[in-house]
Amino acid sequence: MKALAFLAAIPIEGPEERAAMPSAQVRDLAAFEALMRRHERLVLVTALRLVGNMADAQDVSQEVFLRLYRNWSKVEEARNLPGWLYRVTVNASHDVLRKRPAADPMEYAAHVPADGLDPQQSTTEAERRRVLEMSLRLLSEKERSALVLRDLEGLSTEEVARVLGSSEATVRSQISKARVKVKGFVERYFRRRT
Amino acid sequence: MNCTHWEERIALYAGGDLPAAEAAEVERHLGDCPGCQLFASGLKESLQLLQGIHQEEIAPAHFAAVRARVMAQLEGSLQPWWRKAWVYGLAAAAAAALFLMLVSRPAAPVHPRRMAVQAPVPPPQVEAAPAPVVPRVTRAHHVRRPRVRPPARTARTPGSPSVVKLLTDDPDVVIYWITDNSGE
Repeated sequence: MKALAFLAAIPIEGPEERAAMPSAQVRDLAAFEALMRRHERLVLVTALRLVGNMADAQDVSQEVFLRLYRNWSKVEEARNLPGWLYRVTVNASHDVLRKRPAADPMEYAAHVPADGLDPQQSTTEAERRRVLEMSLRLLSEKERSALVLRDLEGLSTEEVARVLGSSEATVRSQISKARVKVKGFVERYFRRRT
Repeated sequence: MNCTHWEERIALYAGGDLPAAEAAEVERHLGDCPGCQLFASGLKESLQLLQGIHQEEIAPAHFAAVRARVMAQLEGSLQPWWRKAWVYGLAAAAAAALFLMLVSRPAAPVHPRRMAVQAPVPPPQVEAAPAPVVPRVTRAHHVRRPRVRPPARTARTPGSPSVVKLLTDDPDVVIYWITDNSGE
């Protein structure tokens, strides 16, 4: 078995992150599994927002964690595991999206309800998720990544720029455009008048 | 009022992405512009809606499925060599079988040029015609050296079909070429 004791020795985040790292005595895959459990939400949910469905998001997550295992030395050098995970998740999601045939815009129109609904009244989980998914689909790949990382995952503009390999000015521009598009969609969806 | 040029700044303001000085400037404008106030509140509401949905729990089974797939793949790749021995054994057996197949195969493929023409077998159902008399040469002294015999020819009567036996490299494949010489 490949020893994974190194996982414990590397300070990736703050002291609390270090304390939660797997024990140095663990010399099997249990250490890696523990690490995976701690970051699986970050990877799977980000992927889900970017690719739009759970099956592809799971494929992306699997790919990300396998890459993490194989490239641990690079992650160690970077000393920023969440940043690395976000970057690899975004890239793997983009790979999935590029392989997928272009979506038909009419597909979205079919989902828009005929009657006006108030967002507060539409409490069904499925519908709320559909609003989020559809509004994200309207965005370009870069706008979606920027919005997901900044507004949904709560990264700072600087962190988003680092993850996406762009300048902060570019990210700010992408975020503002994405917010305006999402607002327009949500209002159209619920037939609200501005 | 045409406030298109404020749109980007208001969108950044709604998400708290403007430096203090610029944010104060936007707030001053919002105080004077009801249209932009509505725009800003719409941005904030839509963002809050999305953030609320994003925070909703995802079924643990989805995470467990990913974990199981990753662990299965890693465990497979980390198996010690002796657990993979049967794979190597199987590969060796397959290689040996392939080698034996190649060795036992005919050296060269069957090719018409390499076919040997042998003495034809007697034609079937041909009425026995009197065989031509071959004059025998008698010599006073018997030749000691072995005689090179010409290819044997069977007696053939005019009009009787001739048969040519073609031997191939494969002992199981023999080709008979029957020609009708009756002239009809």
